Amino acid sequence: MKRRKVIAAAFAAAAMIVAAACGGDDAAEEVTEEVTEDTEAPAATVPAEDYSMVKAAVVYITTPGDLGWSYMHDLGIAYMEEQLGIEVTRLELIPEGAEATAVYDKLARDGYNLILGTSFGYMDPMLEVAAKYPNVCFQHASGYKNAENMGNYFGAMEEARYLSGIAAGAASTSGKLGYVAAFPIPEVLRGINAFTLGARSVNPKATVQVAWTSTWYDPAKEKEAAESLLATGADVLGMHQDSSATGEAAKKAGAKWVGYNSDVRAKDFPDTWLTGPVWNWGPHYVKLGKDVAAGICDNSPYYGTMADGMITLGVFGSSVSQETQDLIATKAAAIIDGSLLPFTGPIKDNEGKEQIAAGASAALGDLLGQSYLVEGVIGSAKG
Amino acid sequence: MMLLGRRIQVEQRMAVPKSAVVIVPVVSVIFALVVGGVFLALTGHPPIRTYLDLLNNGYTSFYGITDTLGLATPLICTGLAAAFAFRMNLYSIGQEGQMYLGMIGGTWAGIVLADSLPPLIAVPSVLVFGALAGAAWIAVPALLRARLGTSEIVSTLLLNYVALNLVNFFIFGSTGFFRDPTTSFPQGRAVAESARLSPLSLFTEKVTNTYPTLFVAVSLAVLLFWFMRVSNYGYETAVYADSPNTARYAGMNSAWLQSSVLLVSGALAGVGGAMYVVGPAGKVDPGLLQVGLGYAGIVVAALARYNFLAVVLAAVLFAGLRTGGNALQVSNDPVPIAIAVVLQGAVLLFALGGELFRRNKVTLVRVQSATT
Repeated sequence: MKRRKVIAAAFAAAAMIVAAACGGDDAAEEVTEEVTEDTEAPAATVPAEDYSMVKAAVVYITTPGDLGWSYMHDLGIAYMEEQLGIEVTRLELIPEGAEATAVYDKLARDGYNLILGTSFGYMDPMLEVAAKYPNVCFQHASGYKNAENMGNYFGAMEEARYLSGIAAGAASTSGKLGYVAAFPIPEVLRGINAFTLGARSVNPKATVQVAWTSTWYDPAKEKEAAESLLATGADVLGMHQDSSATGEAAKKAGAKWVGYNSDVRAKDFPDTWLTGPVWNWGPHYVKLGKDVAAGICDNSPYYGTMADGMITLGVFGSSVSQETQDLIATKAAAIIDGSLLPFTGPIKDNEGKEQIAAGASAALGDLLGQSYLVEGVIGSAKG
Repeated sequence: MMLLGRRIQVEQRMAVPKSAVVIVPVVSVIFALVVGGVFLALTGHPPIRTYLDLLNNGYTSFYGITDTLGLATPLICTGLAAAFAFRMNLYSIGQEGQMYLGMIGGTWAGIVLADSLPPLIAVPSVLVFGALAGAAWIAVPALLRARLGTSEIVSTLLLNYVALNLVNFFIFGSTGFFRDPTTSFPQGRAVAESARLSPLSLFTEKVTNTYPTLFVAVSLAVLLFWFMRVSNYGYETAVYADSPNTARYAGMNSAWLQSSVLLVSGALAGVGGAMYVVGPAGKVDPGLLQVGLGYAGIVVAALARYNFLAVVLAAVLFAGLRTGGNALQVSNDPVPIAIAVVLQGAVLLFALGGELFRRNKVTLVRVQSATT
């Protein structure tokens, strides 16, 4: 018997090495092993009021270790914790669909009164659970459905995308830009369009080739897509993904790139990083927490902007000239004071059809449903 | 000079002792818990309390077990699909893709046919069309296998990727039939209300996340278990699995056996996808792609040693590890999902690894070699 145990133990050790891979199929799960859990917020500032009645939880589709989408939400949550003096429960790597429904159900059952979801596919599960728990406030990022006790929030990332496009257009010598994009949905199309309009405002002949990945987070696929763009001669890449794999590919090829979500990785790319549009969720999370403390569940759609600080442009890389930086600063000021609206006509789509007439500006509703790619983009809005 | 050494000797057991059938799985799980416990202790989480939490959230509390059963429902189907093929030594690993096709086929029926039908007919028709779509997806690999002997492992696996891209295309990449026409956001078009089932509830107020399709899945398991024992077909497949040559000598049609088993396997996985349509989703839902219930079905089938009734238990074990593991993140001392995933992996791997000890006698033997 003793001998068998020794063998079993040896097997056990070997088994542990592959154990994680057995638990699921999501590539993101492998990454979690390396994630350090540094999400506890320092209780540095003592909040003036007592918000301990706010029991908040947030659900992420990936982990903050993506240094992208979930990471920025997590910074916002940490800011909320600090400002309100509360602790927020975080759930990572929750797949959309039935598993998400079970998780939201559990959170509501366990007495959480502010439940946040940060992936588009959480919308229907949250809506379903919200109907069961009318006293719980649900808040969903990036969707469009709401209910009496469910609101949604998002932001005009296209403003900062336009500015980052200026940096990209100015940096390109070949006039060929590339863009690694997740799915052909309005949010992503809008981003590509704003980026292209920005680039062509300083480099009128610039084109932007799109490579679709059909994934929000898959570093290997993102890298492949980036490499395929570089192979066609693109010397500047933009992207709409959750990892910085595009940057890795660009760096290897000596090309410049524009990030997204956060600029925390800028320092890892001293020569090739240009800039990146950045989310700042914290203030809105603080507001949602204070609302709940006051007995309010704001269910009106919230669309943050550069003017209110939800959207910012990240740091510049060393290769961005002072001239370009000054130009971007001027344009940014114009966006903030409302005198510059990136989607102002005449704007044609890349099939030659006029989408926005000369002098007209796209209304917010049209922007949110944008389903075409502007002139200068090489690629199809249908994926 | 005498050299003394030891080596591991693995001998196949001629007969598996009855006790091993029970003892090996139990000891495997205990081992997994011990190893997982060390891991938990090292990362600063009290093992016993964490395990009790997992047990409570995944299995023993009312909502824990109902959440688990809801997740297990399609998993039972993909587990049966894998077990059915594996018993014949046909290693189809295409359950994932067949399940997506079942979701697509079921949704088609739910949109086109169900509108004019009462639920009593609409719901079964969604399930039937899901099964047909799942079977259709494996038809080509089945034909290639039966006629040309092409490995079904590769062909079914590759079709998983095609199916995944098909779902992505229907939802994200097209403005076609399966996409919700009322919004420019990427959403599936909902099936008719008559094609949806309500979740089970206890005394009307305790609404669960389990759907009546659970009973269909369990019935399928019982039906297969019974049918394959008593029918001529069950006998023929068993003979073929043991020895294809014997089966051929006895005049059995191997092409028919191979292709029919694969088609039924595909249909079972397809039903799993269709259950997702009549149950929680009600549309082609790319959220299903993230859960990996098709691949999990392979693990479930292996855990169940290809026994159809055991598939039900293995699916519940697996689903409970998922729901319990997710819920571990919600507590006063949250356990990170990474650790929950390691625990899941440990339990599954040990349970699978136990098979080595059940089928084989493993001993350390002394080796004496004399050299002059």
